[in-house]
Amino acid sequence: MDNHLQLHLALSTTSTRNLPRNDEKKRKFDESFSDDEMTSNKRTLPLLIWNDNRNMDCGCVDVEEHAVVGWPPVNSRMRKVAEHHRRESTASNYVTVDNGGGGGGGLNSMYVKVEMEGIGIARKINLGIFGSYQALTAALMAMFGKRREMYKLTYRDKEGDWLLAGDVPWERFVRSVRRLKLLKKVW
Amino acid sequence: MAYSFPEEVLEHVFSFLSSARDRNTVSLVCKSWYEIERWCRHRIFVGNCYAVSPEIVIRRFPELRAVEMKGKPHFADFNLVPEGWGAYAYPWIAAMAEAYPFLEEIKLKRMVVTDETLELISKSYKNFKVLVLTSCEGFTTDGLASIAANCRHLRELDLRESEVEDLSGNWLSDFPDSCTSLVSLNMSCLGSEVSFSALERLVARSPDLRTLRLNRAVPLEKLANLVRHAPQLVELGTGAYSAEIRSDTFSSLADAFSACKQLKALSGFWDVVPSYLPAVYSVCSGITSLNLSYAAIPSSDLVKLISQCQNLQRLWVLDYIEDSGLEALAASCKDLQELRVFPSDPFGAEPNVSLTEQGLVSVSEGCPKLESVLYFCRQMSNAALIAIAKNRPNFIRFRLCIIEPQAADYLTLEPLDTGFGAIVENCKELRRLSMSGLLTDRVFKYIGTHAKKLEMLSIAFAGESDFGLHHVLSGCDSLRKLEIRDCPFGDKALLANAEKLETMRSLWMSSCSVSFGACKLLAQKMPRLNVEVIDERGPPDSRPESCSVERVYVYRTVASRQRLDMPDFVWTLEEDSSMRYS
Repeated sequence: MDNHLQLHLALSTTSTRNLPRNDEKKRKFDESFSDDEMTSNKRTLPLLIWNDNRNMDCGCVDVEEHAVVGWPPVNSRMRKVAEHHRRESTASNYVTVDNGGGGGGGLNSMYVKVEMEGIGIARKINLGIFGSYQALTAALMAMFGKRREMYKLTYRDKEGDWLLAGDVPWERFVRSVRRLKLLKKVW
Repeated sequence: MAYSFPEEVLEHVFSFLSSARDRNTVSLVCKSWYEIERWCRHRIFVGNCYAVSPEIVIRRFPELRAVEMKGKPHFADFNLVPEGWGAYAYPWIAAMAEAYPFLEEIKLKRMVVTDETLELISKSYKNFKVLVLTSCEGFTTDGLASIAANCRHLRELDLRESEVEDLSGNWLSDFPDSCTSLVSLNMSCLGSEVSFSALERLVARSPDLRTLRLNRAVPLEKLANLVRHAPQLVELGTGAYSAEIRSDTFSSLADAFSACKQLKALSGFWDVVPSYLPAVYSVCSGITSLNLSYAAIPSSDLVKLISQCQNLQRLWVLDYIEDSGLEALAASCKDLQELRVFPSDPFGAEPNVSLTEQGLVSVSEGCPKLESVLYFCRQMSNAALIAIAKNRPNFIRFRLCIIEPQAADYLTLEPLDTGFGAIVENCKELRRLSMSGLLTDRVFKYIGTHAKKLEMLSIAFAGESDFGLHHVLSGCDSLRKLEIRDCPFGDKALLANAEKLETMRSLWMSSCSVSFGACKLLAQKMPRLNVEVIDERGPPDSRPESCSVERVYVYRTVASRQRLDMPDFVWTLEEDSSMRYS
């Protein structure tokens, strides 16, 4: 535990001086946070591994592969129901027929995972809302808070190959991209 | 005192107080009122079975007839509480068997109930009437057989959402022919077939039966027979709703339903064949509650059914309803109060249906009485949340689960702080909130500032620092239950708000940054809190004190902090530990 951290317990039973009353609690708490070091390196981001090991082209998903325990928060009854429905729907595309196959139509079905080199947490982005490489890159930079000139955008296509983004027309790119990764440029 | 009322008069006055809160207040007035009240309290609710001991309850309330109790914390529903943690009903039942021979009602939620427990219930209470086991586990159909066989005056047997080991469907036959008192039977959670003839005879000899919820194994072809025996039903849960399409099956079913003039609630509907749905159309205008959360049917079929139910107040449905279906719902069901939309494919990487934030916006616009929402979706925006908040300032429960953890506003890529902020600011009566998506400390500041009536808050993958937790603990005046997972909240906020925890029922934190040292400190300083460190990696003192614990569950208690049924992965402060901290 850090030595210059003061833990103030607002307890009425102890008699030490300088104990904050309820209304002062907040201020004391703020004071103990004035050191930047405290706020920046104590952050332990959760073990969020939104693991997409699955091959996106294959409809079968094994629930047990799921890396985050208890998420989404559906109880065991609903999990069984979902498992049952998934088996049914891969057998016959009964429910998704309206959408012309392959999930919800239009803008909502173009989610791809985005990783940035050096950042542990992957994000997801809906490519359907962008019209060009510039728009996509700008959004990605804003999402990760980085500068455009430091990174290059690469993507994995449906054959599994990793390519540099920008060589093919946008529409073709959107149809073949499966995953995005931003790599640091090496001068 | 000469001018005070005689006891009998006070007792009579107190008999008009049904709310536990009112009775608790009354017993604080003076010693004699405390005494009079405790002798005439007949029903209690224990929100946390470890907050008090059976001995304390029995000593204070000698004349109980109804006990309601909850065990495991809510996150146990999502496998976050390891097996064997606790919440055993047996010690309670055993103690009460001696003290309350006239006990009539037992309602348990998230507790471990064994066959032994059920047998003890069935044999100890001569006048036993009501058994409700919600999300319980640990018993088999043998236990149910004891209840059926021995409880002569049984009125309610409700096993909602419990995990029952199905050894045989014959337990129903153990209801003696003389048992004609049944008012409610909910066996929807059972897996295997029950003896249909026994079921039919039971229904036929129960003229007061109001609620019948069947399990999936009861075939649709047999449903009409059952319903015909019970046209007085108010709540019906079907079994599997599929059969070969035959006009005689259909007309038989439709006729049976048309005789049910009092039907208000429908549920079940596993494996729905949409062609059979019109069989219930005759009752739809009276339906106020519809649970279609197992029905995998396209939006168009769902809409055809729902639009018949003009008086619908409660709808539980799968996301197959899609935005278009929710728009239709908003147009036809103006009395809607509660909506729950569950995910049909929660673990899928991509959306399988066209259900977005728009569906919720439509319903919030079209349904003026909507006050309770549980909504699973895959995208959300601050704009939508703000619109929803402005449309429905009357929300009391708002639970939103965006399936992707830390999903940002999909339009602006910003956190959803302002959206949820609008919810708490506009919905001044909000009592329960569950949040998801990308959230910074700012949203917690809004919550601490505005959510003054909030009683239960669920947080996951949110926040940036201890400030987040501090805002909530210091600002939410009505907070009773706080459950947190995977957030960067740690020691400082917890220890700075130690006293607050005694005003709450419980706090759950898992996969956060709370150190073992802080847990010890908290337990040392707050003797009326039980600080349970739940960690499956072995003894916490085999690791440095600054190491984060896997889970910590803190609850106020007047019972011993060393509960006797602790498994080896739970640690609480030893009573004889020294009061030093490093």
